[in-house]
Amino acid sequence: MRSPASTMSYLELLKLALPEVIVVISALVVLAIGLTGRQRTAVAGVSSAKPPTKAAGTAAAATDWCSLAAALGVGIAIAAVLMLPRNASLFSGMLVITPLTSLFKIICLVLAFFTVCLARSEKSLRHPGEYLTIILLATVGLMLLVGSEELLMIFIGLELLGLSLYVMAAFDKTDVRSAEAGLKYFLFGSTSSAFTLFGISLIYGMSGSTGLAAISEKLVAAPAQPLLATGIIMTLIGFAFKIAAAPFHLWAPDAYQGAPIPSAAFIASGSKVASFVVLGKIVLVGFGPVHGSSAWHAMAAGWSPILAALAALSILIGNLVALAQTNVRRLLAYSAVAHAGYTLLGLVAGGRDGFSATLFYATVYAITLVGAFGVVAVVRSETGGDDVKNFSGLAARAPLLAGCMAIFMFSLAGIPPLAGFFGKFYLFSAALRAGGDHGLLWLVGLALFGSFVSLYYYLIVLKAIFVDQPSASAPPRDHVSSDLLQRRAVAALAGIVLLLGIMPDILAARILAAMS
Amino acid sequence: MQPVATTFFFYFLSAVTVISGIAVITRRNPVHSALALIVALLGQAGLYLMLYAPFVAGVQIILYAGGIMVLFLFVIMLVNIERAQKEEQFNKQWIVGIVAALALGVLFVLVYMKGKGLFPQTVAQLPEGENTQGIAMLLYRDYMFAFEIASLLLLVAIIGAVVMAKKRI
Repeated sequence: MRSPASTMSYLELLKLALPEVIVVISALVVLAIGLTGRQRTAVAGVSSAKPPTKAAGTAAAATDWCSLAAALGVGIAIAAVLMLPRNASLFSGMLVITPLTSLFKIICLVLAFFTVCLARSEKSLRHPGEYLTIILLATVGLMLLVGSEELLMIFIGLELLGLSLYVMAAFDKTDVRSAEAGLKYFLFGSTSSAFTLFGISLIYGMSGSTGLAAISEKLVAAPAQPLLATGIIMTLIGFAFKIAAAPFHLWAPDAYQGAPIPSAAFIASGSKVASFVVLGKIVLVGFGPVHGSSAWHAMAAGWSPILAALAALSILIGNLVALAQTNVRRLLAYSAVAHAGYTLLGLVAGGRDGFSATLFYATVYAITLVGAFGVVAVVRSETGGDDVKNFSGLAARAPLLAGCMAIFMFSLAGIPPLAGFFGKFYLFSAALRAGGDHGLLWLVGLALFGSFVSLYYYLIVLKAIFVDQPSASAPPRDHVSSDLLQRRAVAALAGIVLLLGIMPDILAARILAAMS
Repeated sequence: MQPVATTFFFYFLSAVTVISGIAVITRRNPVHSALALIVALLGQAGLYLMLYAPFVAGVQIILYAGGIMVLFLFVIMLVNIERAQKEEQFNKQWIVGIVAALALGVLFVLVYMKGKGLFPQTVAQLPEGENTQGIAMLLYRDYMFAFEIASLLLLVAIIGAVVMAKKRI
């Protein structure tokens, strides 16, 4: 009714949304396989109570089939993304296809693939079918977030992702900590998304549109007014929650520590990457005209000082609190807060350089963190815990994993030949160039200080792995339990981090090219 | 069609809504509260009708006053009411509550007095007959994609609720 573009055929929609459709179908298939597997085990358990090994065997087989179907679905979806047209837009921006969105859909799918790998090895999950289904539906949420330039669709994507992640965090019903993680994540998440929805409604009320491009056109004409500021701040709150930036990070330590490990890895990786993509699109495209300035000599109102404040707080709080942690997952959570701060630098700097630096760093960080959580999963299944002391002597027990963990930790700290270094380098140089006359120097200085501090706590983990002897009180169990797939996935992720460190251009140049 | 006695019906329906809303939180018997809530929701539906929004009014009656309230009543009848009635109904945070209510009230008055230019003043022109058709056009054509994705959201919610809530499945 409004535009000729909206009278399109359903077939065309199906064609352009094919990757999402494939992931949804594979989610339903996985659910069905999980259901039939359960019924068979239930029948076997009832009819012949004697051989429980057989029931366990069928359950394991069902898990395998579920994982296989999920992985297959993700693989086909990647192929479908590759076959999409270069540029297309549907429903006035609800589904946008550009090289950039296609690239990040693939990245999200790859992260989902590795999460499925981790989930297959997680023995404590009692309902693998449902778990994998929810991972896949969360992946659909990620893809929608990445591929939309319309606030309504973005909000629905956020909710789809959020709801899936709440369930994933609380999935392990045998563990109190998992319930705590789920509840905290849910309470914080639902409150912050309420704020975001209110902010979006204020902005819609002012601009009369939910499309980002249309909002930007309206904002050029509209003067800065309190209603706009309220709308922008409230909209940003939901995203600050999703990326765990500092005043909104309180859920992160408990969620990272208590949630099942694949869930924690997914929360830390896929959710973050997609949130940064969509946050960048909202502030740079939608709110572009009210950029403001956060240079120390020329502060001006806009969203950029807000993000700069969030970044500074995150870097300080994240790094300083991480120093005091004894649990590796909590340590990773606080370091995640700090990394959210670094990543925001690129958005504060703005422009193509800044945005691409942010996206590169978010991607590298996500890959690194999935790998680190993979190592944590192995250590946890071997020693029954994930404190720093559980890692002691890992180098002797599993040299490959120890080496991978060293790569991940050094990459997070930003040591030169690894991907994390180039990510930080791009971010800091983009921030230095932006904001005229080194205006963002204060933020870059703070980030450098934070990086030095962070080296200390990453090295504590590595010291436990390579130097400390395992305490006699906790003898390592047989390490047959960690299976081959998990180790291979971790090694592959470490390989990616190394490769991106040696040749960062294969991703960075691609992101830059996709943006032009 | 020109509406009759708009002002009278507006204040009448508002009064019904507010009074039954107060009854919801002051009745000790949860069944009475639930019944009062139904009256409040019906009053709201009447207000929607006065705004020429028959679809929203119908949904309000069918979904909220009908479906959800029946569920509420079922739940109330399943839990142990005798014990719930004896329990103290208000928690001890009434000071915090009063402060928050006052702050909100002051904000409301301030916005009402000073915020004349804050919101656009134009009055929406409402087509009289095509309201429901308009919603259908928006829902199934312009916003079809979002509508379909919302169904995925419900799927996640169902799976999550079953996995979380069932003791053993």
